[in-house]
Amino acid sequence: MKNALILLGCPEAPAQIPMAVYANYKLTALGYHVTVASTPSVMELLEVADPLECYVKNKIDIDSCINDLTGNSFNFLLGFIHKDAAVSYFVTFYNILQIKSMALVFERDGKLLDNFIENLEENTKATIVSARAYHNPKPLKIKFDKAIKQLEG
Amino acid sequence: MSFCLDTYLRESENYEILLSKASFKESKKIILNHSPSVVYVNAGEKILGVRIIGIPPIPIGIDENNDKITLSYTKPCYGTSVIELPVNKEDIKNIKSLAIKS
Repeated sequence: MKNALILLGCPEAPAQIPMAVYANYKLTALGYHVTVASTPSVMELLEVADPLECYVKNKIDIDSCINDLTGNSFNFLLGFIHKDAAVSYFVTFYNILQIKSMALVFERDGKLLDNFIENLEENTKATIVSARAYHNPKPLKIKFDKAIKQLEG
Repeated sequence: MSFCLDTYLRESENYEILLSKASFKESKKIILNHSPSVVYVNAGEKILGVRIIGIPPIPIGIDENNDKITLSYTKPCYGTSVIELPVNKEDIKNIKSLAIKS
C-alpha cells in the first residue's frame, strides 16, 4: 500500500480547499492511501466541502501528526505552500520523512512566490509546482496534473 | 511527566515573546543577536517535547548563566515567534546533544 501525506497550510487562501479535495481524488486514483494533515479550522472547511468523505477520508491535526511522525510512515509528501510558515512546515516534514515530495506553491505576490520557491529549492529536493494564484485554483490544477503525470512516469 | 513546550506556553506566563508573526528568517536574526551562545539543530528535532519547525540549521539560543533558552516557535496561521523561557540544566544538556553545529 502506498501512503501519501498532504500538508495544508493556513485556511486563508481560497484555492487551497478545492485543490486539496482534488489532490485527494487524484492521489487516491493513483492507488495512494491519503492522509491530510491540517489545522482544526482547515479540517472544518474540508468537512463542509466533503461531508460524506467521498474524497477526503483521513484527516489529522498537523501538530499531532508531526510529533508522532516516523521516517517510514509515508511514501509521498504533498505540501500546500502559500505562507512563510508553510515553507518551514514543509521543509521540516521533508527533513523527517526523506521521501518523494512535491510542493504546490501559490501566492498572488510574485516576489513572495519567488522567495518561497527559492527557500524550497535550497532546502529540499521536492518537485516544485508553482503558480501566481490565490482565489482561482485552475492555474495550480493544470500544473499539478502535469507534474503528477510526470511523477508517475 | 516530561516537559512539553506547547502545554507550558498555554499554562505559564513565565516566558518572553521577543518577536511574533514573523518569518523564519527574521526569527533566526533575533535569536543570533539576543543569545550569549547558539547551537544549531536539524528541523524536526524534539526540543522540550515538541518537534522544532523551520529551515535547518535551526538556531537555539542558550544562556547558561540564567538557565534560559531562546527558540523559534512556528504555527501555520501565525507565522514564527521567538520565545525566551527558563529551562533546567538537563534541558540545556539535551539540546546541546542534538547540535549539528555550534
